[in-house]
Amino acid sequence: MRLTHYNIVLGTVSALALAAGPVAAQQFSCGKTGGNFVFAQEAKVNSLDQHTSSTISTRNVAMNMFESLMTRDENMSPIPELAQEVVEAPDGMMYTFKLRQGVKFHNGKPMTSDDVVASFDRYKKVGILKGMLDPVEKWEAPDAQTFVIKMKQAQPTFLENLSSFSVPIVIVPRENTDAAAMQLKTVGTGPWEFVEFIADSHVRVKRYAGYTPDRRMLTTNGFGGYKVACFDTVTFRIVTEPGARVAGLETGEFHGVEDLPAKAQSRLKDNKNIVLKPLSNFWVQIATPNLSFPPTDNLKVRQAIQAALDMEEIMEAATDGAYRLNIGFQYPGQAFYTEAGKETYNQKNKDKAKKLLAEGGYKGEKLILLTNQDYTNMYTAALVMSEQLKAVGMNVELMVMDWPASVQKQQNTTDGWNFFFTGYGTNTSLGGAEPLRFHSHPFNTYKPKGNVPDAELMTHWNALVDSKSLDDRKAAFARMQARVLDQVLALPFGSLTKVQAVRANVEDFKPFRIPRVSNVWFKG
Amino acid sequence: MGRYIVARLIQSIPVLILVSVISFGIMKLVPGDPATLIGGPSATPAELDVIRQNLGLDQPFHVQMWKFYAGLAQGDLGTSLLLGKPVLEATIERIPVSLSIALYSMVLTLLIGLACGVVAALNRNGWADQGAMIFALIGVSLPNFWLGLMLIILFSVHLGWLPTGGYVPWQESFYGWLRTSTMPAVSLALLQIGLLARITRSTMLEVLRQDYIRTARAKGLPEFVVIGKHAFKNVMIPVITVIGIIFSVLLSGSLVIESVFSVPGVGSLLGSAVLRRDYPMIQGGLLLVAWSLLLLNILVDVLYAYFDPRVRYDHGR
Repeated sequence: MRLTHYNIVLGTVSALALAAGPVAAQQFSCGKTGGNFVFAQEAKVNSLDQHTSSTISTRNVAMNMFESLMTRDENMSPIPELAQEVVEAPDGMMYTFKLRQGVKFHNGKPMTSDDVVASFDRYKKVGILKGMLDPVEKWEAPDAQTFVIKMKQAQPTFLENLSSFSVPIVIVPRENTDAAAMQLKTVGTGPWEFVEFIADSHVRVKRYAGYTPDRRMLTTNGFGGYKVACFDTVTFRIVTEPGARVAGLETGEFHGVEDLPAKAQSRLKDNKNIVLKPLSNFWVQIATPNLSFPPTDNLKVRQAIQAALDMEEIMEAATDGAYRLNIGFQYPGQAFYTEAGKETYNQKNKDKAKKLLAEGGYKGEKLILLTNQDYTNMYTAALVMSEQLKAVGMNVELMVMDWPASVQKQQNTTDGWNFFFTGYGTNTSLGGAEPLRFHSHPFNTYKPKGNVPDAELMTHWNALVDSKSLDDRKAAFARMQARVLDQVLALPFGSLTKVQAVRANVEDFKPFRIPRVSNVWFKG
Repeated sequence: MGRYIVARLIQSIPVLILVSVISFGIMKLVPGDPATLIGGPSATPAELDVIRQNLGLDQPFHVQMWKFYAGLAQGDLGTSLLLGKPVLEATIERIPVSLSIALYSMVLTLLIGLACGVVAALNRNGWADQGAMIFALIGVSLPNFWLGLMLIILFSVHLGWLPTGGYVPWQESFYGWLRTSTMPAVSLALLQIGLLARITRSTMLEVLRQDYIRTARAKGLPEFVVIGKHAFKNVMIPVITVIGIIFSVLLSGSLVIESVFSVPGVGSLLGSAVLRRDYPMIQGGLLLVAWSLLLLNILVDVLYAYFDPRVRYDHGR
């Protein structure tokens, strides 16, 4: 199967649509070049080592400098990036990547398959998602432009995993691959090269003059595509205080910001100097139960909780109105989107809840909601949920910790809590099997007794990851989602919209999961 | 005096060891680890395990502790888990930022706080006293993050005089430093001005009731000499203690103010290290801060001797 041809066609179609509509089909060019684009981001950058950090803040910056063999397009489908073509053997036991010609690293060295081998070697040692390479027997470089992966066992979703932007296997020069975790030198092949990183202050990058763009597409397409650096430099400023981000955008000190607070959006939407760029479906707001601790070990009680919840009220409060109701773990438009389990969602049926509580023998046992205030939307969702459950006669208590402590409690203990509040962002947007991975063994985020997973759930999971046909995998996804919702192994509340914003003189900025600073320019 | 200073420095060693033991122990007792921050909400338990492995957090407590003290004995405070650079380097590069803003803030505090306190005492119960004390009350009452945001709205958004945040080192551009440091320094200073003004006022009122002041006035000395030479110098004894405390607060930085103004200072470094469970950074950073505060205390003690000739430390002679 020649995946490349298939995906490039898809890529080109979406690139065309994005670039110029039905009229012109020409490659992007900057209306004007030059200037320093200042983008204010909300979270601190820990490290720019893209192999060993899965945070959004790292990705926001690093993915403008690094590239990988394959990545995801605008609709999150796999597309080649540094690969010219990808050939999968008919038995799925070998993948051959031909590399794009003329690609150079920021240090001026031409990229070869030897660098790809070294990058994979490093990833296998320290990469956060190194588990994706478990089914691989070995990789090798038969010549300078060819990279071959040989599998121990065929895995239909291997290229999906390989193209994941979560913690991608970015290709770096061999001489940098001995770096310890978190200490990789920021030398990639992207259109932007590293200038400086002052922790807690800013990261500055500049246009890489030696960049070889991917001419197969017309403009940027997801994380890949035809990228052009229009600005001379880009400064990613770390501005954790939302009020300061808004103020900087209003004064023009920042040309773009991420995560504009909802309250500021209503004020700024009439400001002709500012353009809001909403990015819907940023993550699924969710709570996962603990089946090992009463009363959530009782299915009837869990179903009662599910029946009582008014998702609109929860999401409205948690996001200040920036949300969409959303059934399950995929968004409409994604390949695996399904309404399976729809009847369980947003029931807001107090009578049914009370009846189920009675049937389940609920005697006023304490229900503990484990949440945190680092992510205020998680805290608020828990707060509203607790009030809704009190209204049907439940004895609810909030346990508020900071984020690391709440994660540790959820992961390491099955005592003293009933629902854990979180958000599924990257995994949900990656699609495929990823959004349900947390519910599969050994993760079992619903904390079954003895960590013994729900057998039916695992049957669906195995079909989801092992079926060769896409349709079979989609069907398995629908069955698994239905099972999760039916057994109340998760409570997805809805999807959160994140709003980016730019000054009005910033042209061609399109909201995406990272702030893409290529193919963006200053007007006037 | 020299012997006293050396003795104080030696005495500070057990204090530093105690600080390191407490910070190491407390951080290990606090639930949560940096892996959850690096991984983010979407990280799977397996991903978190890989991160922990990469950071060496999978090693037993005693091994981690042994490594920390073995490094410390060689002057190595370890490497920040999240910044990937030596703790000493990460802290030292932040100290000039916090120090310059602390000094700026201290100058404002001394000029305004002392002036308000003295003027209020000299005009006891008059309008100047009332005005100065209302100003001091506002200073101690306003939350500094709120004040910071109000300053941004006024001076950045409406007037456009100052940038909303960031930091320019004074070596790079003094004007740039002044523009970026003024709002953080004012936000930090206002609380301290209020405290200093109130303490200066009460101390000054106490001193003005002393016999030696009455004597100085009876001798016919001009009022400015009575106040400037006899009263003020005696006011400074308790005030220096307060100034020492205020400067130590300013020097260790303010997580809130540094976050509001996006200033990469020590407060923000240590604050985020705590929030992100960057153990070596917390341990090493606290040690350095504790050491600098001990030095500051020694300096304050030396200043006592300057302002009060009765205070002498060389009892051995």
